[in-house]
Amino acid sequence: MNNCRSWRKRFPEAIYGDLDAETRRKMELHLSACGDCAGLYRSMAAAVRKMEARPAPDTARAPEFWEGYWERLEARMALEEARPARETGRTPRRPWMPSWAFGAVGAVLLVSLGILIGRTVLRPRPEIGPLARTTTTATGPGERAALETGSVEPALAARASRYLRRSRVLLLGVINSAPMEEDPFRLNLPHQKKASEELLLEAVVLKNGFRGSDRRLERLVSDLEMILLQIANLASDPEASDIEIIRAGVESRDLLFKINLRETRLPGGRS
Amino acid sequence: MSREDEARLTDRLINGDPSAFRELVEAFKTKVYGLAYEMTRNHTDAEDISQITFMKIHKATGTLKPGLGLRTWVYQITHNSAIDHIRKKAFYPRDAMAPPASARDFHEPADPAAGPEKAAESACLRRRIDEALAGFSAREREAFVLRHYHDLKIKEIAEAMGVSLGAAKSYLFRSLQKLQNELDDTEACPGGGDRT
Repeated sequence: MNNCRSWRKRFPEAIYGDLDAETRRKMELHLSACGDCAGLYRSMAAAVRKMEARPAPDTARAPEFWEGYWERLEARMALEEARPARETGRTPRRPWMPSWAFGAVGAVLLVSLGILIGRTVLRPRPEIGPLARTTTTATGPGERAALETGSVEPALAARASRYLRRSRVLLLGVINSAPMEEDPFRLNLPHQKKASEELLLEAVVLKNGFRGSDRRLERLVSDLEMILLQIANLASDPEASDIEIIRAGVESRDLLFKINLRETRLPGGRS
Repeated sequence: MSREDEARLTDRLINGDPSAFRELVEAFKTKVYGLAYEMTRNHTDAEDISQITFMKIHKATGTLKPGLGLRTWVYQITHNSAIDHIRKKAFYPRDAMAPPASARDFHEPADPAAGPEKAAESACLRRRIDEALAGFSAREREAFVLRHYHDLKIKEIAEAMGVSLGAAKSYLFRSLQKLQNELDDTEACPGGGDRT
């Protein structure tokens, strides 16, 4: 099967005659022994031959269009050259800084201002009540962990732990894939998509079971749901940008870190 | 234009031969226009992009180095100009853009001497090919067009598009796979649509 994949990847080169004689001979040997590959090769080559019916787009233009092309280009070039002279009132561009840099600096300043306002003006006031309760009731490390984890039933906690473990493996597999660098046949992600669908169903069960008993875990499951939904809806041949969006979502929500953290706290998780 | 002719033209451009630029325009105008058209699916945009490309080339002849593939360099600049143009155009609603070529430009039979049946079959096949190309992603279409219409090798396609060799291979493979899937159904055109 691997042999088939490596040969199929080279079909376009073979169809367009870009293979050297030795590789071509080896491919023909493979095609004579593999009916599936031979069939795919034949239909691909036939599709390329059918392209003869579609002329190159430049032929859609009348000959007069091409005859006057140089004159039109020359006129436009002259116009472009004359333009800076006419626009003398324009502010000269700063050669030390490209124009996009101004936008970037503006964006950074805006974000910094937002953070500053958030930290100073909109900062929530510390609530004394719950803090006091925590410090008084949770004395040992086991009890503190129980408070953070919430009062999830042991069976549900074990199920959540399994869910997180599976989600972590799935996310790592997807975000570390590089569709453009890899074998195109490996880009179909049927297993990952199926696993995502299963985990989405599992998430519904878990969230029903939590019923507010562990809000952090519930939030984590909700965050995971968003990403799992994206994976489940991936095209069968995803673009690098699709994976990049998923990767950015995982990173922006610190999902892998949160999963690791929760796994150490849940029963049956990593310690 | 052969590779040797290209190398000679490159040398003349580097040496500042005033007639070399016009020769380059004459040699590449249909190719540059063709690629720009495939990327934008619009003849007006294609002419605009092709002119911008040649203006950029005119300004950048100083950066040209002997031994560099002239055609790869020209396609690289075309690719970048088209991408810039598409990004600017993206602000306009999609409906405002011109329809694909099949509806307007390729409506006439390829060979008027052929019978009406053959002409209908050919027109149908052209329409289906165009529909298939419209289903490609922008990069798949560009890789395919560069290989099919412009005869670029995979390494040159990768250089022109500014992607890795593996990515260029992937784009090309996927485009052929999509084309094959679209054209496999030979019953969709009268006479089977198979011209092989």
